[in-house]
Amino acid sequence: MEEMALVMNKVCKDFKVLNRHEGLKGSIQDLFSRDYKTISAVKDVSLEVKRGEIIGYLGPNGAGKSTTIKMMTGVLEPTSGDILVNGKVPYKNRTENCENIGVVFGQRSQLWWSLPLIESFKLLRDIYMVPQKDYENMIELYRSLVDIEPILHKPVRQMSLGQRTLSDILAAFLHNPAIVFLDEPTIGLDVSMKDKIRSLIKGLNKEKNTTVILTTHDMGDVDALCKRIVIIDKGTKIYDNDIEHLKGYFGSYRTLHMKLNDDTWESMLIDEKETDIMDVIMKKQKETKIKDIRLEEISTEEVIKKIYEGVAV
Amino acid sequence: MNPRKLFALTRAGIMESLQFRLGTFVTLFANLLYLVLVYYLWKAIYASSGVDVVNGMTFTDTMIYLILATSLFNFLEMFVVWDMSRSIQSGKIILDLLKPMKFRKYTFWSYSGSHVVSFIMTFLPTFVVVMIITHGAIHMGINLLWFIISTVFALIVNFNIEMLVATLCLYTESTWGINIVKETIVLLLSGASIPLAFFPEKLREVVQYLPFRAVYDIPLTILLQKNGSDTIEGLLPMFALQVIWIVILTAAGTLFWNYSVKKITVNGG
Amino acid sequence: MEGQHVRGLGFYAKLYRKILVQDLKTKMSYRADFIISTFGMIMTNLAGFVTFLILFKNFPTINGWDYYHMLFLYGFSLVALTPVQCFFDNNWNLRFMVYSGDFIKYCFRPVNVFFYFISEVFDVKGLGQLAFGVGTLIYSWIHIGLPVTFMIILKLIVFLITASLFMIALMNAAAATCFWIKNSGYVMVIMFRFKDFAKYPASIFSGIFKIVFTFIIPIAFVAYYPSLVILDPDNVPLLSILSPVLGIIFFWLSYKFWMLGVRKYDFTGS
Repeated sequence: MEEMALVMNKVCKDFKVLNRHEGLKGSIQDLFSRDYKTISAVKDVSLEVKRGEIIGYLGPNGAGKSTTIKMMTGVLEPTSGDILVNGKVPYKNRTENCENIGVVFGQRSQLWWSLPLIESFKLLRDIYMVPQKDYENMIELYRSLVDIEPILHKPVRQMSLGQRTLSDILAAFLHNPAIVFLDEPTIGLDVSMKDKIRSLIKGLNKEKNTTVILTTHDMGDVDALCKRIVIIDKGTKIYDNDIEHLKGYFGSYRTLHMKLNDDTWESMLIDEKETDIMDVIMKKQKETKIKDIRLEEISTEEVIKKIYEGVAV
Repeated sequence: MNPRKLFALTRAGIMESLQFRLGTFVTLFANLLYLVLVYYLWKAIYASSGVDVVNGMTFTDTMIYLILATSLFNFLEMFVVWDMSRSIQSGKIILDLLKPMKFRKYTFWSYSGSHVVSFIMTFLPTFVVVMIITHGAIHMGINLLWFIISTVFALIVNFNIEMLVATLCLYTESTWGINIVKETIVLLLSGASIPLAFFPEKLREVVQYLPFRAVYDIPLTILLQKNGSDTIEGLLPMFALQVIWIVILTAAGTLFWNYSVKKITVNGG
Repeated sequence: MEGQHVRGLGFYAKLYRKILVQDLKTKMSYRADFIISTFGMIMTNLAGFVTFLILFKNFPTINGWDYYHMLFLYGFSLVALTPVQCFFDNNWNLRFMVYSGDFIKYCFRPVNVFFYFISEVFDVKGLGQLAFGVGTLIYSWIHIGLPVTFMIILKLIVFLITASLFMIALMNAAAATCFWIKNSGYVMVIMFRFKDFAKYPASIFSGIFKIVFTFIIPIAFVAYYPSLVILDPDNVPLLSILSPVLGIIFFWLSYKFWMLGVRKYDFTGS
């Protein structure tokens, strides 16, 4: 078995798009225009992911995350560079690659819309040619991790968003793939459902040693699941290391919470290298009374925000 | 309602239609091919019959009638029913209902842009080709003006029929079913697939008073100056029929729509 | 994940059967939809038939074809159109899936994308059309006085399947245009209307358009050429004999075109 679940080497992806002109006249011009421009969605991204790792693949909207995932899953072919998933080139043999991966793509259910979940599972068992024994074991594992009874006989179309996401994640793991790609699995869910989904992913990763590539905007997901994060922005990889390591860069940052006279909390991010916290408190105290003070380490959320805002790491 | 606002919707629709680029050319080409099919079929039909005039229609008349009916069909094609059912099933309809404009009005003016484009891209070229091929079989006079007026009426009648059927989508998810019934009835009884002149006498008498005729048959009859439409006495009853149906259908459609929206709570399901 | 699974024809046949059974089970639970759709199907077929009758009331023969022979052609085309209606109806949803980006979900399974997409929908109401077509076919068969032998029935079945391959190919190709152009709805609608001309003898075409409607948009093969094998057994044109092979080629080409669309499409829809 390959040591690396995923290897990307200097991968680039360009798209050709038509230069659109503005206004009514522009629309008519476009009808005959040959004016294309090239957009680089992904630039020279290299990446190695070990078996059993969960990595958070982060970046602001339009950074090139989905494009990368689409290349990893074999749907898109890179313009240049190499990708190996489980030691194979994904887009060269899509079918073969699909046997060893699982995908949950945003809020788009991949299950048969009107079938009860259990029937979808059975069809997937046949599609992936999962031996009956393995299939039963997997369903048993599911039972031990999450309460699936209420949704097992429910058609997907009648499920709540949370149940649907849960079903999609279960379906993605059903054939015991080596890698699972999860694209924003907790988007739009309530807090308890988010917890349920996170512990399910963690449990499956632990039991089956499945590699998980997770894209998300929810730092709660990252904190709960990922040790390592990769950040890309404008198609380029800008960070690839542990979260702790990242926080180290921002070690001098503290979040200061102050409870003011009118019982409201005011929070601010302070770099201790540049500003003295006591100065801030004293300055504030001249304006109003401060009832309470709390000082925190920088949160992942704020670290990521700093990076998106362009702080060099 | 400010007319500037309404035309802004038309303009947005025109621009959106033009974004379709390649699609525009493909549509144009496919339409022409379809017309070729119509031409060959009726050429063979007239050749086999051995006479030049059947039920007052010559081959040229029939051709002009059917070709223009086809391009009118493409020009009037709205997909309102499909769009409506999609926006109901996705729950997007709520947003449309919240727009600061009456929903029916909003829908009508949103579609008007694509009508302008398809009029210029499909109807006009077809019209010119037909004119050249038939060496002036279409009389170029005041009838063109009457034709354009009755086409606008036809568009409104057609929109009302579409909206009436689209309202049914609030009650059933069987969009395909209700749409095909609508399309079948409109195409057959409006004379779009076979000129009404060929219909048996009894059937024609009934069909004459139905709203479907106001969509294709009346504008085309006026253009070809058949059935006495070259005189005011002949013309007036036709316009009257269109206007009466516009009034009836608009009233019925508005009532039905308001009633349905009130009654049905849309929940995206 | 050890070793690659081989998925052959048997695998796909079994899978299709299972999906079909599940699909039918759920269809039964939407009775209103089923009734309305069936009603719609009957209406279109009736309207088509009425048009046909009106035409023949005014013009007793078309290009040397009399009423019953034309009726035969009509019935033949209806039956030949059944498979595209029943099995390939999901093509009508393709453009919505592609434009919204939802199509990507079909690319994550280790099965043929075309199969996976098409297998999702089985259209029951197509069977209504089949019944209509078979009735017309039998009625005209009796009036023309065609014999009933094992050979001729076998021929009929083979050439009906042949004819349906052409129609499937046409709709596949029309649907696949959505990978390149934005308003492919029109292309499908127009293609679907082309089929209405399949029920007339292709001998009405001449010149370049004879070639166009035979080899490029092969509506001449949807009823005319294959049915000549039954209607005029002493005088079968070469194209009729070749039609099964051509049908397979056309189907294969349309499939390749469809799959090319999947490959070329950049899935940027969101």
